[in-house]
Amino acid sequence: MIELDSVSKRYSVSGVNKTILDDVSFVFESGRNIAVMGHNGAGKSTIMRMVAGIELPSVGQIRRDEKVSWPMGFASGFNGTMTGVENVRFVARIYGESSDRVLADVQEFAELGASLDLPIATYSSGMKARLAFGLSLAINFNSYLIDEITAVGDRRFKKKSEARLKDKLRDSRVIMISHSEKTIRDYCDCGVLIHGAKLYYYDAIDGLIRDYRTFC
Amino acid sequence: MLYAIQLQIRVIATLVLRETRMTFGTSHIGYLWAIFQPMVSISFLVVLFYLIGRKSPYGTSLALFFSTAVLTLELYNKMSVSLMRAFTSNKSLLTYPMIKETDTLFARAVLIGLTFVIINTVYYGGLWSVGLAQLPVHPEWLCLAFALTLALGFGIGTLNAIIYQRAQTWQHIEKLFARPLFFLSGVFYIPSKLPPEATAVLKWNPILHLVELTREAFFAGYESDILNIWYPLSLALTLSAIGLLWERISRKRRV
Repeated sequence: MIELDSVSKRYSVSGVNKTILDDVSFVFESGRNIAVMGHNGAGKSTIMRMVAGIELPSVGQIRRDEKVSWPMGFASGFNGTMTGVENVRFVARIYGESSDRVLADVQEFAELGASLDLPIATYSSGMKARLAFGLSLAINFNSYLIDEITAVGDRRFKKKSEARLKDKLRDSRVIMISHSEKTIRDYCDCGVLIHGAKLYYYDAIDGLIRDYRTFC
Repeated sequence: MLYAIQLQIRVIATLVLRETRMTFGTSHIGYLWAIFQPMVSISFLVVLFYLIGRKSPYGTSLALFFSTAVLTLELYNKMSVSLMRAFTSNKSLLTYPMIKETDTLFARAVLIGLTFVIINTVYYGGLWSVGLAQLPVHPEWLCLAFALTLALGFGIGTLNAIIYQRAQTWQHIEKLFARPLFFLSGVFYIPSKLPPEATAVLKWNPILHLVELTREAFFAGYESDILNIWYPLSLALTLSAIGLLWERISRKRRV
């Protein structure tokens, strides 16, 4: 369960104020695959980052009683001067998982070979994405956060990562941002719409998509 | 509650490992280098005093007299300066929700503390083994001085980190305050022997009290007129509390 308790999020960048969420209370129930929809700039990614715990709300609290991933494929948590192996071991340790087991999983999935022993700064963005994606699959999260990206890499690798994610979602759930109705129907069974700094909940995808088409 | 404590310990232990790797690189040379650094200033002072034919201001060993001050100052400087960049250089770690910014401060402090336990042991032990130092008459005071220096460095370092995060020019301003400490902390003189006008000013420097405490720990009969343990102790605790509180209050306003 991930609970937003009277959460507001405001930005003030060089004098321009923006309210992303205005006093929202909402519970992302455990086990439900939840879609997050809204027009561009509505704040979907910001909410995702708050749910992940990367950003704090301006007001209010967010409580989680489950292990929540960072947005999949998102590589900003890596340290460029450390090698792939060192980064993987570090993340495994802070999540309290066996660093050998996680490393073996990532080695097998990401197909980075000897590059894993090089500093991350030498990686291409595709390699980084593969490593980040593989690492989030290797750690047993209860909730996977997906911000548009359900797969990374070339065509063959995309197929593999999609299959692996589906496999993972038999035991875990997903909270997913997508503009694609097909992807939403494919992964989610309920959803929220962000509109005018408020969250609206839909118990079924049909209603969500109808309102998304009307308002966004 | 127990789980929260376990998590905290695990996070900080993992961060300490990471900090070790970031600070010293993959080779052991990096660690040796950290140990050698204070030797440069101590040797320089010893050679200088030897060349101009001066005796140690107290006791027979120039090296020990300088070490008591230089090692204290080095610990304080290292803490206050490397904590300054703890927030800005660890931004990527906030991707992981169990890591709070303060954890990066604690991890750095633990690493620096452990490094200086080794450095102090190597120096005082080394000087003792070649007959240039006696064992401290009050080892518990030596430990107290070390702990207080660590705490004071932590307090100032935390404030440095918060200010530096808001205004990067702070790194230059901070230097203006830190630079004169070498002359104000009794490195090459006995503060109690200075004229009262001088000690009236110098006693505001908390590092000087810690140097004096270190010397009282080492030398039987060294009596400082200015030492007041409560001053560095209360300053260290107050500054750490203000720093941590300030961080906590302003946490939500940072992007």
